[in-house]
Amino acid sequence: MIVSMTGIVKRYARHTALDHLTMEVRKGEVLGLLGPNGAGKTTAIRVLTGLTAADAGKTALFGQEMRARAAEIKRRIGVVPQDLALYETLPARENLWYFGKLYGMGGAQLKSRTDEVLEVLGLTEVAKKPPKKFSGGMKRRLNIGCAVMHRPELLILDEPTVGIDPQSRSHILDFVTEMNAQGTTVLYTSHYMEEVERICSRVLIVDAGRVIADGSVAELTRTVLFEETVVIEVKNPAPSLPDSIKNIQGVLRCDTDGHILTVTSTAGSANLARMLECAAPFVILGVTGKRPTLEDAFLALTGKKLRDGGEGE
Amino acid sequence: MRGFFATFRMGFKYLWRSPVSAAILIGFPIVMILILGTALSSYISGETDLEPAKVAVAADPQGELAAFLRSGEIARFFTYTFTDINEARRLVEAGEVTAAVIEDASGTEVFCEAGEGFDASLALAVVDSYQEIGSAAAAAAAQGRDVYGILGQEIAVRDVPLGMRVPSATDYYAVTMLVMILMMCGTNGIEMFGKGLLSDTGSRSLLTPVSKAAHVGGLLAASTVTSFLQGMVTFVFTAAVYGVYWGQRVPLVLLALFAVVLLSQSICIMLVLLFKRPDAASGLAQGLFYVLTLVSKGYSKINFGAADAVFQYAPNAMAHTVIFGAIYGGNEAKMALYLGLLFAASAVFFAIAFILGRRRLA
Repeated sequence: MIVSMTGIVKRYARHTALDHLTMEVRKGEVLGLLGPNGAGKTTAIRVLTGLTAADAGKTALFGQEMRARAAEIKRRIGVVPQDLALYETLPARENLWYFGKLYGMGGAQLKSRTDEVLEVLGLTEVAKKPPKKFSGGMKRRLNIGCAVMHRPELLILDEPTVGIDPQSRSHILDFVTEMNAQGTTVLYTSHYMEEVERICSRVLIVDAGRVIADGSVAELTRTVLFEETVVIEVKNPAPSLPDSIKNIQGVLRCDTDGHILTVTSTAGSANLARMLECAAPFVILGVTGKRPTLEDAFLALTGKKLRDGGEGE
Repeated sequence: MRGFFATFRMGFKYLWRSPVSAAILIGFPIVMILILGTALSSYISGETDLEPAKVAVAADPQGELAAFLRSGEIARFFTYTFTDINEARRLVEAGEVTAAVIEDASGTEVFCEAGEGFDASLALAVVDSYQEIGSAAAAAAAQGRDVYGILGQEIAVRDVPLGMRVPSATDYYAVTMLVMILMMCGTNGIEMFGKGLLSDTGSRSLLTPVSKAAHVGGLLAASTVTSFLQGMVTFVFTAAVYGVYWGQRVPLVLLALFAVVLLSQSICIMLVLLFKRPDAASGLAQGLFYVLTLVSKGYSKINFGAADAVFQYAPNAMAHTVIFGAIYGGNEAKMALYLGLLFAASAVFFAIAFILGRRRLA
């Protein structure tokens, strides 16, 4: 076990940011921490890394308490903060050099690792330029580079792709996947569902400071398999058609949008034939079955859409 | 120590590249050029608004002392009345002159009334003449008016070395300006601690294995060394371009300047940790340093009356006293006291900053 947080409580005045949060990060996995804004993701990371003290609960990294072996533990982890944490007027190379130095690197090792990180993150050509002249994506990449200079065993990324272009996002996700393939355990927080689906082997859904679901993407989507959705496209449907479909056994609701009827039924109702029978008097343009996604699972579990309320916590 | 030196190197480079540093490095020398240029031009053209000090001289009008008093820049600031010893004393006691320069077989002496602190010597009379321009109060204190024998209501006596150099207007400007610049350099500390400790970048540094002490030490060293070197740019600039006289005891002058740097750093770091907002701390600090310069008689024509007795302990004023003392010869005990007070005040502010920092990082 790389990380173990048990019963963590953190309060700010009257607001409880973490409410007996319990989670584990296993060696070699990419764990996604998914939650809406204000769910407690960043606070959890601050407590985990020792930046913020918890009011209650126990945290262990690599089987040890941070307070007892802070320097030793910090040497084994890399943290990519949510906000850019760079010296904007210093060249990119100088930023990497500095954080490499803080992690105890030096000499030829530091120089070769700096070159390597610049290369992997596609920043070699701008190595001598200060980040203030970078695009948002380049800054984000350098922000990550500073955290991986010392090849950490555990890499913690807090919303590392906020506000960047798709190309840079893809670059970053590939980089994280590659780091994981090389043996780095990753804790990845995001409210971008597709990112989590793409790179995470396990997902924790956090809401109101608590973990409310834990499993792989497949396992989580299975939690909403109690519903099935069929989309039927009909040419010039009669106004009474939705009501007819609603009367079919197992149908929970039928939403209409012009020619498109979205019918949600209880799982296993096997009522598609009867729906098509109702629609038969009209010209059926298409029928599509819709599988539940992580977004559906999230919505079902929290009652919230993941990206409500903007970015960050 | 590796973390300390890494942070020091980073901070040093960061500050030299920051806009604030650029303003201090480029902006202040430009201000120096403008102000010193003005001072020099008025000096050359003789269009100063200084009131000449009235001095009675009991000496041979054709002798060496008279020639000295009439020479160069000294003569510009005095109105001499050549007379005999008794008349000179009477003029002083009647308040018709501010001092009397008396030459007899035993040497040269200056007489003045007790309480006429600035005029306790010929040099102090020069200082007084400059009062409307520079930091006369500090210079006067540096000349040691309390030491050279203002004895109750008795007339005081001081020996005057004929070859003594007297400060010019440019020297006053340079000292006052340099002390102010070094105080302003305290904003380097705000910049450094704001970025390196209170920002996300600072938090990130605290996630590394480097201890907080090494990290904070590196930040402090970077801002202190940078500030001192920035002051040295002005120091060298004034000496090389304007021929400002920094005296024979340069190490002592530099020690005084270093004390100013430490004090301004401590004040600024305390402020940024108190407000947690670098922009607010910077604005407050700059306002404070302008006020301190003003009350220390830097360029100021304002007489603060009884408050001047307190303002001589303003950091700038104490620094002026030590520096002028080092250059022109002052009261060593007072210089040591003021240096000690500057370092002690720094220690107090650093201690407060330390407590605030612990609370901030808790």
